[in-house]
Amino acid sequence: MADSADMAPLPLDPRAIRLTAVADSRDDAIRQCGQALADVGAVDESYIGAMLERERSISTYVGEGVAIPHGTLVAKDAVHHDAICVLRFPGGVDWNGERVTICVGIAARGDGHVRLLSELAQILLDPDSARALRDATEISDVVDLLHPSREEAST
Amino acid sequence: MPERTVAVASRSGLHARPAKIFVEAVARQEIAVRIRVGDGKPVPANSMLAVLSLGAKHGTEVTLDADGPGADEVLASLAELLARDLDVEAVTDA
Repeated sequence: MADSADMAPLPLDPRAIRLTAVADSRDDAIRQCGQALADVGAVDESYIGAMLERERSISTYVGEGVAIPHGTLVAKDAVHHDAICVLRFPGGVDWNGERVTICVGIAARGDGHVRLLSELAQILLDPDSARALRDATEISDVVDLLHPSREEAST
Repeated sequence: MPERTVAVASRSGLHARPAKIFVEAVARQEIAVRIRVGDGKPVPANSMLAVLSLGAKHGTEVTLDADGPGADEVLASLAELLARDLDVEAVTDA
């Protein structure tokens, strides 16, 4: 992969991780993701509306019980810096008929989202990492999972 | 195995809507299709996560391969899809 050499750790603030969130709907889960990104100063609250709009336009469900809500291009001005948040919903959230237990909210300027999505997808595609992410009991474990050492990941 | 290499035309790259359109088109095929970037490991093209993991941006050359009945036609139609700007075809979205 041409871009693997310049991959930096995912911009995940530990304060943007919730291990036991509860949402009564898909939109509620997305609002919580947007709020988590806003709380760490990554986005304006207007970004939340853009995330909801994007989701209505096209589902961000990517399989394996994971959804990756993010805003539309028009909302890029509402992004202060690239960031992700991780909200786990142990009780599950109905996502257009799919059951989502992990939401990774994404805020990115320019084409930063392509790299973020790629990094994230590579981690989630690894069954051990995906399971560990679902089972993690400490926020620091989630941070470690999403910041794997580049040496290990370069195989 | 038949292969086709094509540059991703969608302006935001192969993610979100363009990726979804592509993955769904692959899923409608009756043969397995794989996709890779350069000499990278081929991944199943019918998996959203796998396609996202490629990190393919606008202009990134991706290579499709498939084997089985009609593989050449399948690859031609999928390559044609990637050669279109799927973002423009979805004007309200990114």
